[in-house]
Amino acid sequence: MKINEAFVEKILTSFIREELYKFNYKKGILGLSGGLDSSVCAFLAAKALKPENVICLILPYGESFSQDVKDAQEIAKLLGVRSKNIDISPMVNAYFSRYPTKNRVEKGNKMARERMSILYDFSSREKALILGTSNKTELLLGYGTIHGDMACAINPLGDLYKTQIKQLARHLGVPEKIRNKPPSAGLWTGQTDEEELGLTYEEMDETLFQLVDKRVPKKDVIASGFKKEAVEKIIRLIKNSEFKRKLAPIPKISSRTVGHDFLYPYDWDR
Amino acid sequence: MRVALAQISPHLGDLRRNLDLHFRYIEKAKKKRADLLIFPELSLTGYTLMDMVEEVALVPGKDTVFRKLKAASQEISLVIGFVEELERGLFYNSAAFLSGGKILHVHRKVFLPTYGMFDEARFFAQGKNFHAFPTPYGKSGMMICRDFLSYGASYLLFAGGAEIIIVISAAPGRGMVQEESYETSHMWELMGETVSRFSTVFLIYCNRVGFEDGKHFAGGSFICDPTGKMVARASYVDQDFLLQDINTDEIRTGRKKWPYKRDDKPEVILEALKRIVRKYED
Repeated sequence: MKINEAFVEKILTSFIREELYKFNYKKGILGLSGGLDSSVCAFLAAKALKPENVICLILPYGESFSQDVKDAQEIAKLLGVRSKNIDISPMVNAYFSRYPTKNRVEKGNKMARERMSILYDFSSREKALILGTSNKTELLLGYGTIHGDMACAINPLGDLYKTQIKQLARHLGVPEKIRNKPPSAGLWTGQTDEEELGLTYEEMDETLFQLVDKRVPKKDVIASGFKKEAVEKIIRLIKNSEFKRKLAPIPKISSRTVGHDFLYPYDWDR
Repeated sequence: MRVALAQISPHLGDLRRNLDLHFRYIEKAKKKRADLLIFPELSLTGYTLMDMVEEVALVPGKDTVFRKLKAASQEISLVIGFVEELERGLFYNSAAFLSGGKILHVHRKVFLPTYGMFDEARFFAQGKNFHAFPTPYGKSGMMICRDFLSYGASYLLFAGGAEIIIVISAAPGRGMVQEESYETSHMWELMGETVSRFSTVFLIYCNRVGFEDGKHFAGGSFICDPTGKMVARASYVDQDFLLQDINTDEIRTGRKKWPYKRDDKPEVILEALKRIVRKYED
């Protein structure tokens, strides 16, 4: 589970640099929340592309999460990257004033998609490629908004568990207060991932590492001391979120079909 | 002899740019007075070709790309990786050894990895032989990437009399370890050290670098001498150009001390294999 931070840093910065070059971009853009993952992504991007080629969009909903906004600004300043604050509350409120809801997940998803929409717009205005900030834990558990925070052009952190990102963050020099913040999807104030999922990240990552990386059968994972309910919940979350990790299925009619047997690499002609 | 390894990152699906890249390295290696320059697996095309395979396939006897490479091999011997169309519509993941203006041998990848992240047998036809062939530097044999992980393949080249074994590779790194490398890099090195030592041959492994669809090719090209000692190794991340003098007399020295080759019993192995195969076909 432990990573060699210097080696991972080398791989991820090379990846960012190479992908931008291939897609003919000079600049990278990302949404900076003031949390761990986006901060690590900003650090890597600044190293890979030079700070002047990194744009961080800070996209708060009104005055909520004001500490995170301050932290995000501090990170941007520390790295010397360009940053821009855009309050998403007018857009989000305009929608919910016509179609109100009490469901906070619905509200949070809408916000995540508003941020996505702004990122893609600025990606075009700035000719900057969008760097995703979803980690392996979230991707596997489906703990993200489809077409929201999960949307991006490349995702440098997608094969690192949250605890590994924490390890990398220390190596990169991400400030301690950001590393020690309780991880939060930021869908509503006071939400923390661990409380919502009912498991600590150590538990989730250890279990996922056994199930996914080492392919240990469920019964053996439980027998080795992991709580049965937790393991079962994790497996349920993985299965129920496969749709977030895939292109939508297309009914096959012709002899060559997108998503079935029209097979080309992502890096086609790059 | 002086060996050069071009640890490059080919442009996916772009023959013309890759040919230019090859010629830049050929010039560089010639300047350094290398005798033999080795490129990685599918060096002329890139690896993740999928349905592009047929678009970049070459016929060595007919192609202008090969005409140019053959001409260049008048001055420096070359090993290159390419997609070969052997019979109309049959595409192979191939390696060619060119020297003195001629193609001395083409090896077609036998073990096409088709599991997990690999899908080669979906796109390529399977080669059927491991053959040691004469070169100006001694009898040599070639393997392509996954071929090398089946130790029977190395044995066939050893039994066939190879003194230099060349492995060209497009091996993605995977698995974290505490050192600054992938778990899989150690796998290749272990095999390299083992095969070179127990076959008393020079073992040359040329891998590529760069990313394709997020796969990170893990470089780490290396050369092992006939005692199993790694005498040179390239970067695990970056493009690299490895230059190494090797003394083929060491094969002789090694085989005097460790007569594995003299004492090899291919006929015993052959008969035993026949019995095994017959049994599981029943």
